[in-house]
Formats: sequence, structure tokens, C-alpha cells
Amino acid sequence: MDVSQYLEIFIDETGEHIQSLSDCIMTLESEPENKDTINEIFRSAHSLKGMAGTMGFKRMQHLTHDMENVFQEVRSDKVKVTSEMIDILFQCLDAIEGYLENIKSTSDEGTEDNEALIAALNQFLAQAEGAAPAPAPAPEKKEEAGEKKADGEDKKKFLTIQLSDSDKDALKNAEESGGKLYGITVYVSEECLLKAARAFLVFKAVEEKGQIVVYYPALQEIEDEQFGTDFTIFVTSDEELNKILEAIKGVSEIVDAVGEEVKAEALAGGAGEEEGEAAPDVPAVAETKKETPAPKDNAKPAAKAKTAGKPVASRTVRVDIEKLDALMNQVSELIIAKNSLVSISSQEESDFQNQTFREQIEYLERITTTLHESVMKVRMVPIESVVSKFPRMIRDLSRQLNKKMELHMTGEDTELDRTVVDQIGDPLQHLLRNSADHGLESAELRAERGKPEVGSINLNAYQEGNNVIIEVSDDGNGIDTESVKKKAIERGLVTPEQAEKLNQKDIINFLFMPSFSMAKKITDISGRGVGLDVVKSNIEALGGDVEVDSKLGEGSKFTVRLPLTLAIIQALMVEVRDEKYAIALGSIETIEDLPTSEIRFVESREVINLRGKVIPIVRLDKVLDSVPAEVEPESLTIVIVRKGDRLAGLVVDDLIGQQEIVIKSLGKYINNNNKTISGATILGDGEVALIVDVNTLF
Amino acid sequence: METGIETAAGVAKQYIVVEIGNEQYGIDIGYVDNIVRMQEITRVPKSQIYFKGIINLRGEIVPIMSIRTRMGLEDDVFTNSTRIIILKLEQQGKFGIIVDEVREVVTLNADKVERTNMSVKEGRESFINGIGKNGEDLISLLDLNSIIEEDDNV
Repeated sequence: MDVSQYLEIFIDETGEHIQSLSDCIMTLESEPENKDTINEIFRSAHSLKGMAGTMGFKRMQHLTHDMENVFQEVRSDKVKVTSEMIDILFQCLDAIEGYLENIKSTSDEGTEDNEALIAALNQFLAQAEGAAPAPAPAPEKKEEAGEKKADGEDKKKFLTIQLSDSDKDALKNAEESGGKLYGITVYVSEECLLKAARAFLVFKAVEEKGQIVVYYPALQEIEDEQFGTDFTIFVTSDEELNKILEAIKGVSEIVDAVGEEVKAEALAGGAGEEEGEAAPDVPAVAETKKETPAPKDNAKPAAKAKTAGKPVASRTVRVDIEKLDALMNQVSELIIAKNSLVSISSQEESDFQNQTFREQIEYLERITTTLHESVMKVRMVPIESVVSKFPRMIRDLSRQLNKKMELHMTGEDTELDRTVVDQIGDPLQHLLRNSADHGLESAELRAERGKPEVGSINLNAYQEGNNVIIEVSDDGNGIDTESVKKKAIERGLVTPEQAEKLNQKDIINFLFMPSFSMAKKITDISGRGVGLDVVKSNIEALGGDVEVDSKLGEGSKFTVRLPLTLAIIQALMVEVRDEKYAIALGSIETIEDLPTSEIRFVESREVINLRGKVIPIVRLDKVLDSVPAEVEPESLTIVIVRKGDRLAGLVVDDLIGQQEIVIKSLGKYINNNNKTISGATILGDGEVALIVDVNTLF
Repeated sequence: METGIETAAGVAKQYIVVEIGNEQYGIDIGYVDNIVRMQEITRVPKSQIYFKGIINLRGEIVPIMSIRTRMGLEDDVFTNSTRIIILKLEQQGKFGIIVDEVREVVTLNADKVERTNMSVKEGRESFINGIGKNGEDLISLLDLNSIIEEDDNV
């Protein structure tokens, strides 16, 4: 059975259900009596079960089935929500997530049965049964389905359907071209969650035997799941009707299929009166439903109620990220072409000096810039998808560490480029764990210091210009710079004399060194020394940076700064010898012209003293292996760049100007050893310029 | 290493014949994406010595290799007939090699191709995986994978 094309939808929706379950269970923990929440959980578990069943993931179905049963009991007040139950439920969620991970990587759920969890769930059920005999909803439903099978003629909806003119023509043509014409109405199980998938499988089965001429409702509507529990098709085929019906019934979750040979004329006659109406589909469905006997009528409200439980269909579409990448690439191409036009029109000897032409160019520039912004916005997703799992994590940490703590989050709706959001989860998680484990003090110490018993961890996100800032802070102990200093000396990173001269920032920076862990004991949560340096390199890989603020005894704050977009940036173009390089405008502080005689030496490194600040100098020509300058010029053009709160001066030969550039990768062949060059860009005249990654020069 | 020539006898393949140094080399046409004239190459600092830099191929950044430097021959002399052959390998994307001249396209039957087992000789790597006989001419068939492979022992 081929359901692979629904796998992605399944993965996405399962993820959403897991998240909503997690949120609800959190709520349930604080308000165990909340009926709405319990219902919501029941619904989510039910949907998960159905989806897993449809896709053939038996183990996952089993587990969610038992979860659903437990909530059935909770809902009918037979079992009380206990913290023990909450723990088990969270473990179940983790197990489901495990299945989902397996499915994502191998399209298979794996072989873990999670029997212990199922046993634990059944124990809750056993408690409930002690109180009252458990209801058996499943067999009941089967009986209902059985009943439906019994009634005959009324199920042949194809006889009464109102067909449009074009459909009638299609049927007539099909009939004339030979073969028998069958009308078939297919009934899908009420519990079926991927109705469109089932319909698709039915169509596939039918098309092996013959050709489907008319779909009712229309094919598009069936694909969008806009039908009740039945749909009708008209088929031309040389095969026997029975064989086709058998093939249809062979698809799982298809309750029944009825059909007979029909004549196009006869069908068309019945529809004559309704012809004029433009959109008869919906009323027609209602009408045919009325004609069906009682059991069908019961089924309809049930189906309606279920759809009402799902969130209202939002006005969004799911788009493959690759398509967006392609779109972004095309916008990039457009900007390069635009830059090229701009560069032609600005040449003095060019023929394009007339006013209208330049106005049009300006207009084009505005359009491409807005287009770029729009595409960027499409790629933006709220960080919510990442941070929403943190409350649960903090709750678990609180138990593990035996510390009381609370997570306060703001700005979950702050948006970032999809690729950034996908990769920011791990670093943030590290920072939060760090705060929970190292930051917050033990309960006794907090009481001693007069702090509230429950420690608080904050995660604030907001946009600032072209950056998004995410702050992770806590009201804990803060960083003990003295002990960090001691550790640094111990590990031979600095001499005691050097250490004396370091300021607080420099000392805190030691924490970001590889395998520098301050934890006295290696715990499960942190302290293996793979924390902060990984956080830092991950964030820098995204073009961002991280800073720390800390006050001993009062708490610390990690500030993560991320760029809004990765593909197109504003840059300053500079010249070194005859080569052009781009420097991201975001990291440039000022540009200075200084006489060469201003250069001083500190520890044999070149520095300048700029308005009271000592700034180290980097000779770009040396870093970039350019042809050495013949004579040292009298004055130097220095671009002052910033990384975090450190400054450096880059010596360049000349400035070209500011430009919007499209970042292109150098590809996999060229081995750019020290990563000084982060990419290349194509200039207006078709020339290629390299992009200097300022962060590597510090 | 010897991919592409293990076809049954009688199966013909097309090769582009180019001149590098004084020798003729054949490149499996299936890998050739484009042939362009010599153009300005932007140097990339700190890259492998045999990568001359990158070019803009209709909006695409393509790294360009000096096959002469790669083979340990003397430096390229750019003339009017110098061409860049843009090659495309499945996984890693495009790259270009500089050749002195593009001669012709030949069709070689598999039985006209002799597989070579020339291993590392005189400390120099081998970049060919076969020799094709085109009438009187011998054409060394370039093994593109060994060209882009990083030599670990050097």
C-alpha cells in the first residue's frame, strides 16, 4: 500500500499533536480538573491513534490507543489525575516522539514496544474498572457499521446525484466510446482520518480496472477532504462490476461500496431541473443525506462534531522549504541583474543618461527590494515552534535537580528565517539547562539570600533592526569570575599575572572555550564541557553572536544576536590591491582615515589609539595573501569592525561603497582553510567579489 | 576509480579531446556541462594551490582548477585557444578546468579503450583511468574523481 506521499503530512501533524498534548498535559498538571483540557487531550490522542493506524504504524497506534483509553476514564470521572499519571503521560509523549523520530529517518516506527508504559497505562485503567465496568466503545461502533451494510438501495447515491452539464457530457462521451458505465458510491469509515488518502487508494484500485469519468464531489474537493463519509464515482470499464467493487473494498477503512451499471441518459434526466444553479454541491449533499435512513442520520452529526473539534482550517498553505529556497535564489538572481543595470546606468559615458531611464531604474530597485522583503517574510517562522518545548524541559529539570523553578517566556511570536529557527533550538536548550543547573542556587541558599523560593528563568525574544535578540536570563548565582579565573590559571590558559589584568568580560569569555566546564560534578544536565563552546560556534555559524552579562549573587544574562536573513545582506565594498572584497555592514562601526605614523605597537602587535580606545589593527592584505604593497602610504583607510564588544581595525586600500549583495557559497571543492572568506558575490558588472568574515579576524 | 569504461565491448562513448601540455586527454562527454572562453578568475586566498579561483558562470559561482598545476606541470600560458571546461559531478556540483585547447569530439568503442593500472609512479599521482586509441592517436582518458580527490599523502 502506498501511503508514502502522505508521510510528510503525517509527520507534520503528529508533531503538532505531540506539542498540543504536551501543552495540555502541562496545564492539566496545574489544573487537574480542567474539563476542556481533558477533552482536548482526548481528542489529540484520538487523532494520533487514527493517523498512526492509517499509516500502518501499529506500535504507535497501540500506545496512543491506551493513552486515549486512560483519558476516556478521566473524562468520565472514573480516574483522578495524579502527578504519577502526569509523569507516565509525559513518558508516553517521549515514546511517541521516539516513534516519530524513527519514522522521520527511516519511514518506519522501529521495534520498541514500550510495554512498560502500556502496562502502566493499563494500571490506571484497572483502577477505573475497579470503580465501574469499563465501557467498550469499539465493538459498538462496529455494530453500527454492520447495520449500515444492511440497507441496500438507499446507499446507491449515484442514482440521485445532481450532475452538471459538463459531467453529463463526459458520461455520454464515455458511454459512446464503448465499455460499460458503472455508478459506484464508496463509504469511508467514520473513524478514518486521512479520508483523502483512502479516496486516493480507491481511485488507484479502480483505475487498474477501468477509467474514472466523473467524480462527485469534484476531485479537488475529495483531495481536500471536503466530503462526508461517502463519495461517488462513475467508471467506464470492460470488467465486471463485482471485480471493481472488490478492489475498492480491498482498501482498508472502506466500509462499503455499492454500484450498478447505469445509462448516461437516465442519470442526466434526473438532473434536468437543477441545472442552472452554479454551486449545487453542498445543498445536494445535504439533500441526499436526508433521504438515507436513520443510522446514516446518526452518523452525520457525529462526523460533524469531529470536524468541529479540529482547529478551523486556517488560510495557510504548507510549502516545501526547497521551493522557498528556489524562490529566494531567483530573487537573488533578479537583484544581481538589477545591480548590473544600476552599474551600467551610472557609468558616465553610458548612453542611458536620460531622466526616464533613471527613474525606471529607481522604480525597479524599489520593486526588487520589496520583493526580497516579501520573500523573506514568507520564509520567516515564529520561534514559537522551537521554544514551545522548553516549559516541559524546565519542568523535567526542576524534578531532576530538585530545585523549584519557573520559565517565563515573552516574544514567542518573534520571527526568524526558517533555516535559523531550525538550528537555534539546541543552543537555546543548552543555555536554559545551564541556567537551571549552574545558575539557580539550591533552595537553602536562595532562602539565605532572601530570594523567592521559586527561581525564575526568562527567555525574551525581540527584533532589533536587522537582528533578532534572544535573551536567556536567570535570577540565580551569577558567574563567579574569581573561580573562573582560578580555573583558567589552573588549566594554563593564562598566567596569574595576566589574569590580574583581565576584565570581567575577558574572564567570562573563558567559559566559551572548548572543554572548559565549571561544573564541580559532571551531571546528566550539563558539565561535560561541551556546552558553551558549542553554543557559541553554533550561533556564529548562523552569523550571530552571544554575549554574557553577569552579577555575582544576582544572576546572569546570555544575549544571543541573530541576523534576520542569511542570503542577502548590505555590505561595504572595499578594495585591497586590485581585488574587491565585501564586509557585512552590520559589523562595521566607523571608518577612519589615519596617518600611518599613528600606529603604535603593543606586545609587537599593531594598534591605534582612537579617541581613547586602543584598537588592534589587522592588515587585510596580509591576511588575504595579496601582493605586498610597494611603498607604505602616508595615510591608512581603516574600517573599524565590532564583534560583540571588541573592536578591530581593518586596513584597506580603498572604499568603493555600500551595496546590497547576494551571498553565494564557494562550493565544496575549494578548501578555504581558515574560513576568512565566507562566500562570494556577483557584482553589477559581472565581476566576482569575495566576502570577508570579520568574525574570523579577531 | 575506473568508472565509466567497464561497459560491454561495442558500447561506444563520446569524449572531448583537449590538449594539456603536449598531451591529448579525453574527457567523458557525460560530465561536460559547458565549454567557455578564458575569463577573469577571482583568486580565493588560502585555497589549494591548484585552484586558480572562482568565476561567474551566468550567475553561478564556479571554482576553476589549473589542471597543469594539479598534474605538476609548468604554469598555464593563456592563449587565444585556452578554454575552461565546466564539468559537473553528481554530488559535488560544478567545477572548471583550464585546458590549452579543445580539439574535437571522438567516439570510442569500448574495445578501443585500454584500462590502465598506472599507480603512483615516481611520486606523481595518476589522473587517468584508461587510454583510448583513435586511429594513430593515443588519448589519455581523465579520471575526474581522482582530480578532485584530496591527496592525503602529499
